[in-house]
Amino acid sequence: MSDTDFVTMYHYLFLGLILFLIGIIGSIVSKNVIKVLISIEFMLTGININFITFASYCDNYKFDGYIMALFYVGLGAAELAVALYIFYLMFQKKESDCMEDYSN
Amino acid sequence: MINNSVVFFVASFFIICFSILSLFLKNIIYSLLCAIIVFFSTSIIFYNLGSEYNAIIQAAIYGFAVPIIIGISIMFTTKKIYNKKESFISFLTIFFSSLFIMAFVYIIMISNAMIPNTFNVANIQQFSSYDVLLEFAKGIFINYVWAFELLSLLLTVVIAGLTLFNKKERHYKSKIGNEKLKINHKEAEIV
Repeated sequence: MSDTDFVTMYHYLFLGLILFLIGIIGSIVSKNVIKVLISIEFMLTGININFITFASYCDNYKFDGYIMALFYVGLGAAELAVALYIFYLMFQKKESDCMEDYSN
Repeated sequence: MINNSVVFFVASFFIICFSILSLFLKNIIYSLLCAIIVFFSTSIIFYNLGSEYNAIIQAAIYGFAVPIIIGISIMFTTKKIYNKKESFISFLTIFFSSLFIMAFVYIIMISNAMIPNTFNVANIQQFSSYDVLLEFAKGIFINYVWAFELLSLLLTVVIAGLTLFNKKERHYKSKIGNEKLKINHKEAEIV
């Protein structure tokens, strides 16, 4: 660790880990369906931080992590659109946004 | 690439604080606003790491497009949400808990026992924006062209599938409505 690199790779990795953990806790604890979806997006964002950190620090010439992060953003947006539409269809029958009402 | 420590700590504080806030706020609109701040702060982190392209995509898709979709779905589904009030103590608790998490991360990061000097071999790479963009183009259009095409196909299938679902649902509803109208007509004739 040189003196000039005050922020190291591990800072970014820890930030991604904390965001991933917050997403896991939120998806388990939250009762609202939309909050669960937002928590899943937090998990994807934490993974993206890890991809870009490894690409910036460890990949010398190809930047594969950047492209993987790009794919993850596209997949996350598609997944969110499908999940919200399924939630909307289920809401029309149950008329509730609570997770417990969808368990039966 | 910037790799500025002040930018990193401010953006990471915003990410942690507002992600915790978005989970524990009762009002869903407030939690969506906090999520928007988290996504924009993440794009600042990406820019700090030297990936301007990913930062712009993160800000455009997660900062603008995804919150619009979530906001529209909240408008369609949630009815009695605007009357809920938040207590100031919960805001303070979440603020100080995120400060505590940041201090915890900082203490772990600066301790040599956790990360010895010999282990931290990775140094940040210095590239110009042109090189990064060139490698992006090579990755998308040469190395990962099939994955890119598959992703675009998946997005097309999602759009077509959602449209078909909607059309089927409308057709089903109109069919039920017509049957109800016929029954009402028959009842009226009987009367």
